[in-house]
Amino acid sequence: MNFELTDEQTTIKKAAREFCEKEFTPELALEFDEKEEFPMELYRKAAKLGFTSMRFPEEYGGQGYGVLEDCLVTEEMCRVDPGLGVAVTLGTLMFPDGLLKHGTEEQRRRYIPPLCTGEKICAAAFSEPEHGSDITRMDTIAKKGGNKWVINGSKEFITNAPFADFFCVLCQTDLKVTPSHRGESLFAIDRGTPGLDVTKLNGKMGIKPCVTGSLSLSDVKIPETNLIGELNKGFYYALELFDGTRIAVAAEAVGMAQGALERALNYAKERKQFGSPIIQFQGVSFKLAEMAMKIETARLITYKAAWLYDQGKMDPMITAMAKAYASRVAMDVTDEAIQIHGGYGYLADYHVERFHRCAKITEIYEGTTEIQKLTIIRSLLKRGFS
Amino acid sequence: MNIIICVKHVPETAEAEIAIHSSGKKIKTEDLVFDINEWDNYALEEAVQLKEKHEGSVTAITVGSEAADSTLRKCLARGADKAIRLTDKAFEGSDSYVIARILHKVIQDLPFELILTGAQAGDDGYAQVGVVLAELLGIPHATMVKKVEPLKGFVKVNRELEGGLEEIMEVKLPALLATQTGINEPRYISIMGIRKAMKKEIQVLSLKDVGLTEEEVGESGSWITVEKMFIPPVEKKAEILTGGVDEITTKVVETLRGKGLI
Amino acid sequence: MKEVFVLAEHRQGELRDVTFEMLAKGMELSQKTDTDLTVVLLGHNVEKFAKKLTDHAKRVLVIDDARLENFNAETYQKVLTHLISERKPTLTLVGHTAFGVDLAPSLATELDLPLATNCIDISFEGEKLVVVRQVYGGKVNVKASLRKSESYIVTLRPATFEAKGTKPQGGEVIKIAPPFSDDITYKRFIEYFQPPAGDVDITAADIIVAVGRGIKDVDNMSIVEKLAEAFGGVLACSRPIVDKGWLPNDRQVGTSGKTVKPKLYIAIGISGQFQHISGMKNSDLIIAINKDPKAPIFRSADYGVVEDLFEVVPTLSDRLLEGKR
Repeated sequence: MNFELTDEQTTIKKAAREFCEKEFTPELALEFDEKEEFPMELYRKAAKLGFTSMRFPEEYGGQGYGVLEDCLVTEEMCRVDPGLGVAVTLGTLMFPDGLLKHGTEEQRRRYIPPLCTGEKICAAAFSEPEHGSDITRMDTIAKKGGNKWVINGSKEFITNAPFADFFCVLCQTDLKVTPSHRGESLFAIDRGTPGLDVTKLNGKMGIKPCVTGSLSLSDVKIPETNLIGELNKGFYYALELFDGTRIAVAAEAVGMAQGALERALNYAKERKQFGSPIIQFQGVSFKLAEMAMKIETARLITYKAAWLYDQGKMDPMITAMAKAYASRVAMDVTDEAIQIHGGYGYLADYHVERFHRCAKITEIYEGTTEIQKLTIIRSLLKRGFS
Repeated sequence: MNIIICVKHVPETAEAEIAIHSSGKKIKTEDLVFDINEWDNYALEEAVQLKEKHEGSVTAITVGSEAADSTLRKCLARGADKAIRLTDKAFEGSDSYVIARILHKVIQDLPFELILTGAQAGDDGYAQVGVVLAELLGIPHATMVKKVEPLKGFVKVNRELEGGLEEIMEVKLPALLATQTGINEPRYISIMGIRKAMKKEIQVLSLKDVGLTEEEVGESGSWITVEKMFIPPVEKKAEILTGGVDEITTKVVETLRGKGLI
Repeated sequence: MKEVFVLAEHRQGELRDVTFEMLAKGMELSQKTDTDLTVVLLGHNVEKFAKKLTDHAKRVLVIDDARLENFNAETYQKVLTHLISERKPTLTLVGHTAFGVDLAPSLATELDLPLATNCIDISFEGEKLVVVRQVYGGKVNVKASLRKSESYIVTLRPATFEAKGTKPQGGEVIKIAPPFSDDITYKRFIEYFQPPAGDVDITAADIIVAVGRGIKDVDNMSIVEKLAEAFGGVLACSRPIVDKGWLPNDRQVGTSGKTVKPKLYIAIGISGQFQHISGMKNSDLIIAINKDPKAPIFRSADYGVVEDLFEVVPTLSDRLLEGKR
């Protein structure tokens, strides 16, 4: 057993930290949090340095690393700023992973390299106004018309939708089959295809630089060759993709918690009340000790989930535990960080309130905590204890 | 253009608390973060930029323990082609004269047109390794370099003098240049760079490989020997204004008003 | 009679301060060790300098040659190698300046004499030469001894020793023929270059607000700009700010920048490395704001504020602006 990162992994972590600490300035973080805009320039810079294509093979322009290395980068980015961090790491969300597993060589060659370089951005459109956690039925329908697929429907809460160049869209392709999830398929759709319309969604609680939008599809015609993998396997592909992204969300949560802890610790060392730095009061110092404890355990299970994935031993239960636990830790720790800051913590300029607002999303997206718990209990019932 | 850069792995102390080791001859380094010496960081960037413009290779060399590998990896990740670490128990206690002699023994057998070093190290601040090394190699040098322009057979450099003035010199190649900070904008380490760096081997050489005797290195070979380190005595100490931020700023304003400065 | 050498430093027609600082220290050392103090003056048409230096030393060795008009480590080294081998001074003092650092290490190597650089103190303990140097950016001092030798070379940090006036020594000027016949082969001085000046002359300001590494980010610069404005002063900085390109280099205070003597100098987030201190220590009143109570800047300041600059600076600006209304 070995709990140490390799030299290479440590170097990656440091490189990511150096980049973020210089580029993700507090002012930029505040500015983009307020504007609710995607930091395109920052994204391209990060992509050029390889930070956004960690998991993709070198032959497609990626870095050829695993989920663990990707998590190290994600953690550092969210540690420095949760909003900018999440935005930058999600530019290449899911689409390449789906293509790598099930796409044709032509699809991979076409879509993955420009995503690796940062020229293009993608989005994964699964959720719908009526289907969030439950994707066992899609109201977006793809019908075969000649040698084309014709798609109608709408998608909601889609990360990057307002400016993504490529979308992978989950559609119902068989309306009669029961259970209905056996009739879902994944399609690649390019921006600019007639009938595809996107709108920006404003007013999110947190991760505001990570721009979200809605998709409306009205008689969108795409060639047959845009089907990803096999027909009617989309639901299974989507679940598979979540196995990877949930670990990434756990890493986001660990990073956010770490960033909040560091800010709270620094503040507690400097803030003086009743004549001494508040860290000398156990009411404060014990909080900090507990925050650190929680973060370390969350990190351990996150790394374990990533490691299992990279070993080809992906364990849905461990992944679910990592996501549910780390996201809760992020909520608790960022909350306590505000408490330690007192009144100042409630102000945007002191940053911890933003960490708290951003942390909430980690309990929601890529499967809510409740969905994670379902996975955990199903595994427990199935496999018993060794 | 084949370039050699001499780098040093040093503790970052600008914002850290420093304590003296119980031996009284060094500082405690357990809690300090080590990285490439700030001046060397600029030398590294300059070397890589020159290589990109004029082709050739960059070799990074350091004298240090295994921990210095992280600095060498950084050099490789940022564009150096080769890395050499000179390590031996006997090197401990060497002053910068000895460090230059060790470097000389290795560099004399390597092909190069240019050697770049930082103008000084942030830890001991001798500012002499480069110049001693150049003399041992029998090549010309320039220190405090702010600009480098290689021309046929020589290099044109701007040297930083006091008071913002610079002098422009021509130095015949091969030469050694010791660079100032601010000479360029050091790049970030990329993941592609890390991948390349990890595939490369760091060559490790010992005292025997270098070809010096034990007497010639360490304290016995040095010009200068540390007798003791101490926190500098306070000659004139500022009157520290206390209270909360509000109270302090009020005191500042009152003091200045009293002196007719505002 | 044994000698202590001081290498005179001059540039663009002026003897530099460090020369007189070294002469003061050199005088003290020569008296203690019962040796003669000798100035070594290299240059071209330097009679005026030689005459001035006779007040400060027992003798002035002048090597006058067109090839020595401007400093050049190659030619200087040739001359000094010759002089030191010939006269075997107990000690040669060189300034730890842009000239000195380019010369002393190679000179010592060629002569195989022990060298100590950047010293803030120097003394003989018996035959042992002991120096004090600063390390880790001025946070730690080192007392060190040099390998025993009949002759040593030491570079002294500028603006560290006081250039005391002495009664005129009536030194003797001795002209020596340049001990090299061949031309300069490796290194050629082309010209001096003064980077273009900006619109603000910090040396003329009465109030200077100076900012250092502690400001952390370019986006934070606005808070110090605002303070400078509130004071009706100008904004200056320490080296890291110029290296990062956040302010032009004519705003830099210190050895490689400007020397300033304002009525009020406020150092914000500046640790106080000697290079910076030497450029501002003669200000009438110095206030330092730094989180680190052990920052060397507090040794040079009149008043210190050990607080987070991000809290103090905006509050201070507000206070000043209130006062103006």
